[in-house]
Amino acid sequence: MLALKSLTKSFKATTAVDSACLEIEQGEMVGVIGRSGAGKSTLLRLINRLSDPTAGEIVFDGKDVAKMRGRELRKWRSDCAMIFQQFNLVGRMDVLGNVISGRLFEIPSWRAMARVWTPEERALAIRALDRLDMAQTALQRAETLSGGQQQRVAIARALAQEPRMMLADEPIASLDPLNAKVVMDALRAINRQDGITVMCNLHTLDTARNYCDRIVGMLKGRVVFDGTPAQLTPDVVRDVYGAEHGEIDESATSTSLRGETGQRPVVAHA
Amino acid sequence: MALSLTQDQITEVRASHPDAFPDRAQAIRRWVPWAIALAYLLWSLSFFEFGKLLESSDRVLRLLAAFVTWEDMATWNYGRIYAGILETLGMAFLGTLLGAVGSLFVGFLAARNVVRLAAPRHAVRRFLDIFRGIDQVVWALVFVRAVGLGPLAGVMAIFISDLGTLSKLFSEAIENVDKKEIEGIRATGAGPLKVICYGYLPQVAPVMLSQTLYFFESATRTATILGVVGAGGIGMIIIERFRATLYDQVAFVVLNVLIVVAIIDWLSGRLRSTLIGR
Amino acid sequence: MTDATAGGTKGGRKDPVTLFERHRAEMLRARRGTTILLGVLFVGFTLWSAWISNFTPQRLAEGLPRIFEYFQTITPALEWDKLFVGRDASGDAVPGSITFWYTDFWKYMELLGVTILMALTATMLGAGAAFLMCFPAARNLTPNYPVYWITRRFMEFCRGVPEILFALVFVFMVGIGPLAGVLAIAVHTAGALGKLFAEVNENASLKPVDGIAAVGGTWAERMLLGVFPQVAPNLISYGLLRFEINVRSSAIVGFVGAGGIGQELNRTISFYSDDRVLAVLILVVVTVTLIDLLSERVRERFIGTEST
Repeated sequence: MLALKSLTKSFKATTAVDSACLEIEQGEMVGVIGRSGAGKSTLLRLINRLSDPTAGEIVFDGKDVAKMRGRELRKWRSDCAMIFQQFNLVGRMDVLGNVISGRLFEIPSWRAMARVWTPEERALAIRALDRLDMAQTALQRAETLSGGQQQRVAIARALAQEPRMMLADEPIASLDPLNAKVVMDALRAINRQDGITVMCNLHTLDTARNYCDRIVGMLKGRVVFDGTPAQLTPDVVRDVYGAEHGEIDESATSTSLRGETGQRPVVAHA
Repeated sequence: MALSLTQDQITEVRASHPDAFPDRAQAIRRWVPWAIALAYLLWSLSFFEFGKLLESSDRVLRLLAAFVTWEDMATWNYGRIYAGILETLGMAFLGTLLGAVGSLFVGFLAARNVVRLAAPRHAVRRFLDIFRGIDQVVWALVFVRAVGLGPLAGVMAIFISDLGTLSKLFSEAIENVDKKEIEGIRATGAGPLKVICYGYLPQVAPVMLSQTLYFFESATRTATILGVVGAGGIGMIIIERFRATLYDQVAFVVLNVLIVVAIIDWLSGRLRSTLIGR
Repeated sequence: MTDATAGGTKGGRKDPVTLFERHRAEMLRARRGTTILLGVLFVGFTLWSAWISNFTPQRLAEGLPRIFEYFQTITPALEWDKLFVGRDASGDAVPGSITFWYTDFWKYMELLGVTILMALTATMLGAGAAFLMCFPAARNLTPNYPVYWITRRFMEFCRGVPEILFALVFVFMVGIGPLAGVLAIAVHTAGALGKLFAEVNENASLKPVDGIAAVGGTWAERMLLGVFPQVAPNLISYGLLRFEINVRSSAIVGFVGAGGIGQELNRTISFYSDDRVLAVLILVVVTVTLIDLLSERVRERFIGTEST
């Protein structure tokens, strides 16, 4: 179980994350929503310590991640995989190498830097790619793939880590609707089949509703909503996004292919 | 590690995706260039008797110690040292100036759009190649033999080698001008000299000035070296001190030169950015 | 046509020509100060530098004929009819032939070979050191500021001191011979390439670095797997360019006793003022030009294939 206790991150003038308290059980699929700048990205990056907290604790399995350093920290990062909006793959390296790099923590440095992989590592990587239907691109350079394909490779890399939890920072923000669906389906499948906790920053409400068991809403760095999709009424939505007047039209940012929100279906083809 | 994968599963993947599992031949091909490079390096280190460096470690340490222990600082001839630095700067400045002015003329001679005939242009270019191909230090040695020790040889060396390089750069800039502006001036009935002044120069002047400044920067560096072979400037003073085993003074002078060069680099960089900015 | 009295108005508006003239005069006045100052400085500096370099018309007049004389002495006395004549019955070369001019041809070739090897080894050693230093010396990649500062200052030192001075020092340390040259050029290369490599690194995208950090990679793994694949083509290109330059330097560094063809050239120029000077010079220029061309080809092919 992951527990965030009064987690705070402030820069000189602003507080990006303000005393966030959250408890996430193993196996949950959590969607984090909020307007741009609400602190969603910072929150996720605090969890895997790509950013360091100013105050508070991050407790996983009884240990405080916020205080980890060196090898212990790297072990945590290998247990806690991250998917980025811009994929963050190594462009000039082949897809296979990118996926295997998920196991960097386990692979001895010299083998990693010389890029000498064992058959077990290769097999693991191919199986992960196969789950994402990308095994046929294994020997291509990652930069030759399209955005949607690269994100799937990134997910395969995360799978190769054999993680306990996955953080996804706006994983579909740069993708077209078809690829967005593929990626979100993959994340949900991993969550259901492997029992891996998934925490997802999303900027489209309907995606959050469709895929997540639990939704966390953030505004100005504070957690202002924590509940099920059903509890996310239009009033609550308005509070989370801090809209002053009028209704928020969720379909304005919808990337769904069918009218699954029950509202006017949006034309969304590539 | 990958204990979560059984041997059967690995075999299965190997069978379905053989490309992902390189065989011995592929692995060898990958490492062969590195092996060759390493073999060459080791051989050449023994060829050059690299071991001598380790054997002479006590000499090395003594020398390094001599560089940092500064004694009798009051007796050092500061006047000569700073005069030498100024002489070096003067050499670099004059050599670059003459080189730039000369290259201005020769640059036009070597430009395709100014001198239409191929033959004289190619002749000029080959001469410039020779000037450029012979290193500045070699020119300095030659000029020292010809006109004697001292900064005159250095100025000539810088002039000739700059002529070789700057002329090529200038001629390339001239060849890359926007023809429309030239046509515009020519259409007013201006003669060739005026076309050059109003049509070519305004376009190429910033580039030329910028390059000249850059060459001045680099001339202040090389002028020090020229002195080492006798062509005047601080280089001669450094050699003197070195031969007289006054290593602390050598270190002092070199430090001063480094600082002066750094200052000139900075100034020149600022000048160049204002030029390009305009 | 216009009423050009000072401050004259025409129905409430000032006369445009007067305004312009006044504005122009103001601008000129403001600029003139700096222009005059710069102009004076420039002319002054030119005159001073001419004086300090003994660049007087008198010296020039004396010197120029001597330059031409010198070039005459080092030109070989070749005779058309004997140009390609080989050695005669007793094994001596015939004066006036190319064979005579290049009596020591094979000695020169051997020295040239050593010179090129010097450049190759020095470039490899220097590039290796530069590679190790270029990551700590990149502002966006360095683990902490003191490491960055020290690495940068060290590289500046290696780059700032002229190779010949390093060569002098190394000759003192390890004796006359090519080793001193290799070490001197390697040290200078480490500084020059280190700076270039670090600049390339500073322009690299940090996204893959973040990616490797997120899977639990160490700093070294982040550099080698995240940064290096991006910058590799640039590093190789700069390395090849440096090899070209180093071939030139290897030829020069011999002047202070650090081996290679430079030592021979120095000997010839200093002790003999005859056609051997030109013989060696021509060989050096040809070699350097060939290496330049070759290196350019290799670089083009390398960058070309990379961009496909």
